[in-house]
Amino acid sequence: MRAGTILRAVWLIVAVGFMLLPVYAMLVVASAPDDTDLRGLVFNGFHLPENIGLLFGEGNLPTYLRNSLILCVGTGVLDVIFSAAAGYAMAQLSFPGRRVLFALVIGTLALTPMVLVIPVFLIVKELGWVNTFQGMMVPGMISAFGVFLVRQFALGIPKELLMAARVDGAGEFRIFARIAAPLLKPALITLFLVHFLAQWDNLLWPLIVANEQELWPLPVGLANFQSEVGITYHLTTTAALVTAVPPFILMVALQRYYVAGLTFGGLKR
Amino acid sequence: MSVLGRVRARPQATAGVALTLPVAVFFVVFWLVPFLAAIYLSFTDYEMAGTPNWIGLANYERMFADPGFLNSAWITVVYTVCTVVPTIVLALLVAVPLSRPGRLNRWLRALVMIPAVMPLAATSMVWVIIYSDRGLANTLLGLVGIDPQSWLTSSDLAIWALVVMVVWKSMGLFVIILTAGLQALPGEVYEAAAIDGSGAVTTFTRITLPLLRRTLLFVLVISVAGSMQAFVPAFLLTGGGPADATQVLPYYIWANAFPYEHMGYAAAMGMVLLAAMVIVSALQFGFLKGGDE
Amino acid sequence: MADLTRRGLLAVGALALLAGCGKDRPRQQAADGRPHGEVTVWLHGSQDTGQQFQELVHRYIAEFKVDVKLLYLPVGQLDAKLLTAFSGGAPPDVFKIGHWSFPAHAKKKRLAPVDTRALSLQDYEPGTTAPLTYQDVPYGVPIDFNPCMLYYRKDRFEEAGLDPDKPPVTWEEVAEYSAKLTSKDRRRVGLQWLYGDPQWALMMLTALIQGKGGELVSAGGAKASLATEQGLSALTYMSGIGNPTLSNPLGALGLFYSGEAAMVVSGAFLGPALEKLGKDTLTFGKQYGVAPMPTWAGGPPVVPAYTWGWGVAKDSPNQFTAWHLVNYLQGAPSVTANLDNGIIIPTNGWRDAGPRGKSEIMRIVADSIPHVDFGPIIPGTLELAKAAAGAVDSVAYGKSTPAQAAATFDSTVRLAL
Repeated sequence: MRAGTILRAVWLIVAVGFMLLPVYAMLVVASAPDDTDLRGLVFNGFHLPENIGLLFGEGNLPTYLRNSLILCVGTGVLDVIFSAAAGYAMAQLSFPGRRVLFALVIGTLALTPMVLVIPVFLIVKELGWVNTFQGMMVPGMISAFGVFLVRQFALGIPKELLMAARVDGAGEFRIFARIAAPLLKPALITLFLVHFLAQWDNLLWPLIVANEQELWPLPVGLANFQSEVGITYHLTTTAALVTAVPPFILMVALQRYYVAGLTFGGLKR
Repeated sequence: MSVLGRVRARPQATAGVALTLPVAVFFVVFWLVPFLAAIYLSFTDYEMAGTPNWIGLANYERMFADPGFLNSAWITVVYTVCTVVPTIVLALLVAVPLSRPGRLNRWLRALVMIPAVMPLAATSMVWVIIYSDRGLANTLLGLVGIDPQSWLTSSDLAIWALVVMVVWKSMGLFVIILTAGLQALPGEVYEAAAIDGSGAVTTFTRITLPLLRRTLLFVLVISVAGSMQAFVPAFLLTGGGPADATQVLPYYIWANAFPYEHMGYAAAMGMVLLAAMVIVSALQFGFLKGGDE
Repeated sequence: MADLTRRGLLAVGALALLAGCGKDRPRQQAADGRPHGEVTVWLHGSQDTGQQFQELVHRYIAEFKVDVKLLYLPVGQLDAKLLTAFSGGAPPDVFKIGHWSFPAHAKKKRLAPVDTRALSLQDYEPGTTAPLTYQDVPYGVPIDFNPCMLYYRKDRFEEAGLDPDKPPVTWEEVAEYSAKLTSKDRRRVGLQWLYGDPQWALMMLTALIQGKGGELVSAGGAKASLATEQGLSALTYMSGIGNPTLSNPLGALGLFYSGEAAMVVSGAFLGPALEKLGKDTLTFGKQYGVAPMPTWAGGPPVVPAYTWGWGVAKDSPNQFTAWHLVNYLQGAPSVTANLDNGIIIPTNGWRDAGPRGKSEIMRIVADSIPHVDFGPIIPGTLELAKAAAGAVDSVAYGKSTPAQAAATFDSTVRLAL
């Protein structure tokens, strides 16, 4: 038994160590003064602050950061609210059109977004949203992933619990808000994190919709930065590192919730 | 249905519709309508200018004569199988021991998520360096006495370089989801298995896996859908090259739309990809019944 | 969902779609002959000339009271954004795109012809606006005009026992020298091609095939084939030189800088770019030199070339001002500032605009202008180029024989052209 425990610990540490090796290499290269040593194993001085200074010298980086935060937090919150409502309803309420809607949502998981770019752009244009925040945000606001995730978790809420509340005379909205939503909270936090990450990475759509640099989020700004300055490995790595920080902070802050929360998904059927 | 049930049905229906309405409207406007437009376009010669002309099945026939499409379709199959299977297997191998309680495991569970939360653009940049001539990959190979390889510029290796990055990137989230699923399994069954004297492997295949169905289904559906549509990793890491060796189908669809402007053809390929994904998903749901009530 | 609703949705979708495309909205062209109003410009940024360019734009704004809105875009994503904007009926007034993009846009009636009241094409050297002209209508003016030439490392030549002052003149010599310059493990090579780059693959094939009297594209752009004697020999020739698996963040140009590649075909911009990478390691005339584009022995000179160009949208409500602005941006101060960075705006007398105009590189450019070949000026150029790169790369990687690659190329372009 004891040997098994040690073996497990060793395996886990090795596995996780390998997973973190690239992250470590990133830190090393981002701290390098130039591109001479790219092995990413040994620190060649620590020039990270200077490198970050060079990047921020570009000027627009704070604007890009702000826009990214607006974009990611804004759509993340909306996705959580709407997916929670819909996911719960699809799992626990019977209403007309439930199956059709579920099929529609799951179906979009299989759709290749690139063939939809032009039609969606036309809709955004008809709405007068080209070159606006809502134009960048709304088309990616709700994800099929989110609805699907919440529904899977909401399936685990015991029917008896809801029935009991109904017998007590609670209205359906009240049941959702007071009973289901708190139970779903961990899943919703996970959803927020996943959504935030996806939007944080979103390059193409904001680029297509936004016509002013003032609206650009980070990925667009960085892509432009790269095409202007040309490729230097250590500086682009520094940029990459900077963009990885906010999601990382978010993950650490929410860690307690989503790890605890995800256990809910397997709740007895 | 009981009297109570019937009385309750109406408020339930009202609430159900009200709670799903925003999502329904959203998916109709931003997915269904564009999707219908794309279906229509797939039967036209629309080249991003002028009026689309109906050309029937010509776009669909064109695929079979198009070496680029056939190449990309095959690469997508390889890519999907080779990212999904190792990701889930490795995630399970890590998740099973990781789901046990303990201070070390709590720490490791946090660390395992780090690759998953790194932005893909940042990730790709790092892996370009790892795969460069004097990068980490060749340094590690050198330690075990293997000659340096041209990871991203060799037409044989590039796809595997891509696969390794994607597995690394997507594992963390699945580990966490599976760990959570495992922790929620009822303890009694394990005790019963222990009394029966089942070995670890038997317990795993006979008890853990079947009980984990719903979680596995979720992970499988999400990762297959993600892999079959993956566009950004190839776009960022290899640009579809070298010699089209990493030109997955979504990338090829993208290239046909932008900049070649064959929107009709791109839409048709999108529909074929969609059909393939629906079939694969249906197989998964059938295979791992348990996602639904 | 009821059938009716479904049909309704389809109608909405089709309507939304048609709202944007195919609409030749007859926009009111405001009073001409006087710049006014607002002009939006989409372009990709350049670190070197960026500041000068912005100063120039500010001066224009002050002088003509025109509101100019600049949007710098990452070069890799410019196409997708521009195409979406075009098909959505919301293009910018002015944009900078590659010459290879002009024919498709022109054919799709997205471009406004050059307004000669605002901009005189006579200001440009003969032939230099040809790549931006489609079916005899000029749609743009060139900036960053690049005929190809051969860069070679004198130090590598010396090491290999070759005369550092005698660069190869013919393709036969290029092959011969490359063999001598290539190390056993092929980590150091003679000439290195730009693999994976569609435009460059097309240019090299054009040079090699036309230099032998063949043609890649025929029948006025309706047909293209590599399965010809000249096509196959070009593929074979290219696969015998260089090493596609060598990598460098700056591609073949970086390999030339590092010395792994002893020769590379590039444009006039490379010289100044090398200077910026490090004047100490690489000096023109010492470690490296330039030579005119090679020819086949006894064959005609063929100098492949590319250029970027300014275009104006047909949908622009302010075309006169747009061309007026372009003309201003192409004026003498720009010619000088760009030339200083190795970027050529080929207006008359461009070589006199600055000291760099007298350099060896610029002399080669000037001499080659009569022989420049911009490849086929046809709407399918992009795909033709992609297929060309596919053929060159698959042979270079040994994935197919020249004959197989040519067959794949032919069946790919048959669908495209």
